[in-house]
Amino acid sequence: MIPAFRLELRRGRMLVLSVGLVSVLYAGGITLFYPTILENAADFEKLMEIYPKELMAAFGIVGSIGDPGTFLNSYIFQFLWPLVAAIVAILLATRPAADAETGFLDLPLSTRMPRLRYLTAAIAGQILALAVLAAMTIGAIWAVDLLIEPNFPLDRLVLSGVHALTFGLAIAGVSTLLAIIFLDRGRAGGLAAGILIVMYLLNVLAQLSPDMADLGRLSAFRYFNLKELIDTGTYPVGDSLLYMSFALGGWLLALWAFRWRDLAA
Amino acid sequence: MTYVIEATGLTKRYGSRRGIDDVTFQIRENEVFGFLGPNGAGKTTTIRLLLGFLRPTAGRAFVLGHDAWRDAAAAHVDVAYVSSEPAYLGQLTAAEQLDYMASLRGLSTGAWRLVAERLELDPTVQVKKLSRGNRQKVGVVQAFMGEEPLLVMDEPTSGLDPLMQREFLALVSEVRAAGRTIFLSSHNLPEVERACDRVGIIREGRLVDVSTVSELQASHWRSVNLVLDAPPAPDVFELPNVRVVSASARDVHLMVQGDVNPLLRRLASVDIHDISIATLEIEDVFLGYYDGSPAVGADAREVRP
Repeated sequence: MIPAFRLELRRGRMLVLSVGLVSVLYAGGITLFYPTILENAADFEKLMEIYPKELMAAFGIVGSIGDPGTFLNSYIFQFLWPLVAAIVAILLATRPAADAETGFLDLPLSTRMPRLRYLTAAIAGQILALAVLAAMTIGAIWAVDLLIEPNFPLDRLVLSGVHALTFGLAIAGVSTLLAIIFLDRGRAGGLAAGILIVMYLLNVLAQLSPDMADLGRLSAFRYFNLKELIDTGTYPVGDSLLYMSFALGGWLLALWAFRWRDLAA
Repeated sequence: MTYVIEATGLTKRYGSRRGIDDVTFQIRENEVFGFLGPNGAGKTTTIRLLLGFLRPTAGRAFVLGHDAWRDAAAAHVDVAYVSSEPAYLGQLTAAEQLDYMASLRGLSTGAWRLVAERLELDPTVQVKKLSRGNRQKVGVVQAFMGEEPLLVMDEPTSGLDPLMQREFLALVSEVRAAGRTIFLSSHNLPEVERACDRVGIIREGRLVDVSTVSELQASHWRSVNLVLDAPPAPDVFELPNVRVVSASARDVHLMVQGDVNPLLRRLASVDIHDISIATLEIEDVFLGYYDGSPAVGADAREVRP
């Protein structure tokens, strides 16, 4: 498995580095503004009052903008991380499908490497890539925190990174399953992205309209809220477990399907 | 007797689309087995079934004693494979690609160097910058770099220039001399005749014949075109294995089945201005498996001495 995993890392490094750089610049840059926002919190809140509370809630802005939880959750985690996680998870998870389309998959699978080991190496690559991105994002916030000294609690930041990671892993698990079912990167990636967009809209609609509140339960975005964790230190265990069940379920089903499915020419 | 490859009633259907149907054959140890067929005949489907990439609709195949589908990875320990159009990662150099394959096959880094030198492959070039022929060379190097007992090759010489095809045939001879076995899929009849001991012929998904190369040579047709200095005697071409397709005063087109020597002996008494002997395209050879004669007037590939 080691050569296949090494190749996965090599193939993924440019993607992780480029997206990671964007994450670092964005997360670090936004964090730099935190003291300014703190100083002018009252003015910002007055400005925000012109928008309906439901609309603000739909985009994760609940409570005072000066609270670290509201600030980091709405301006960094809810805005940046879903994009980062979706792009990287879908691109990496659908790679076996792309390899099947080009014929590259034939090379490792014509050797002593069993199919399960090949896909396990690919999954390990996804986990590592998303973990590195989560670490880079949290690291950027923490590094800027050292400069501006608002003293975000490091342990809560790290736990936020863990929960953010499970969100990305859930996307990766389901995308891997779609990739193995279709063995067509375009279809699998398109469907995964489409599901995420529909989920995002469901979450927004559920916040805007009380009649549709139940629909929000169907959205993965509903369970991605780090405000309470950052403000109170309460880890969303249930939400993380839900994400991990989708991640593991997707991967296990993908491994099972990959073992038994045809790899057409 | 234990066979290196044993396929019994091997069948693959893709929904309503034909794959292969009831293919049965065996390959013995130290044999070079040619698998001939026109494009779309089912060669690649058969190979993918043998490698466990596809699940048979019916029938079974065993490779080195392992069930090709259920126990593919165990079989692959002793198999080297090259596909007809190997897909490599464009950003890797040929050397990196070959080292990757070597590591997956348990070979040492650089195990490919000797074969690469013989095929004049520059290993420092990124695969995406290689021509089709050079990419094919990477595939051939990959197939020959190890010492696995079985080589499975799917049209490995497509895109190779004639010099490299000759080197390929030399490599095949060495592999045979080392006691190893080769399954060689091709639509190049002369190549199969030179390289193989036995030949299986597949057409429209069915194995229509398995014979030795000498049997195949005895049965297949060649096209002979003559330009004569003078009109020939009326009975000069009357031989059991010769058909006159067309004859004018000086231009004669013949079809010869099997041995050409009797015809050449007759031609010794004729003043010949020019002669060409051509092997038929493989599709025309396959027509012979249906009506017993080649497609007259079909385009032939000329092989001039």
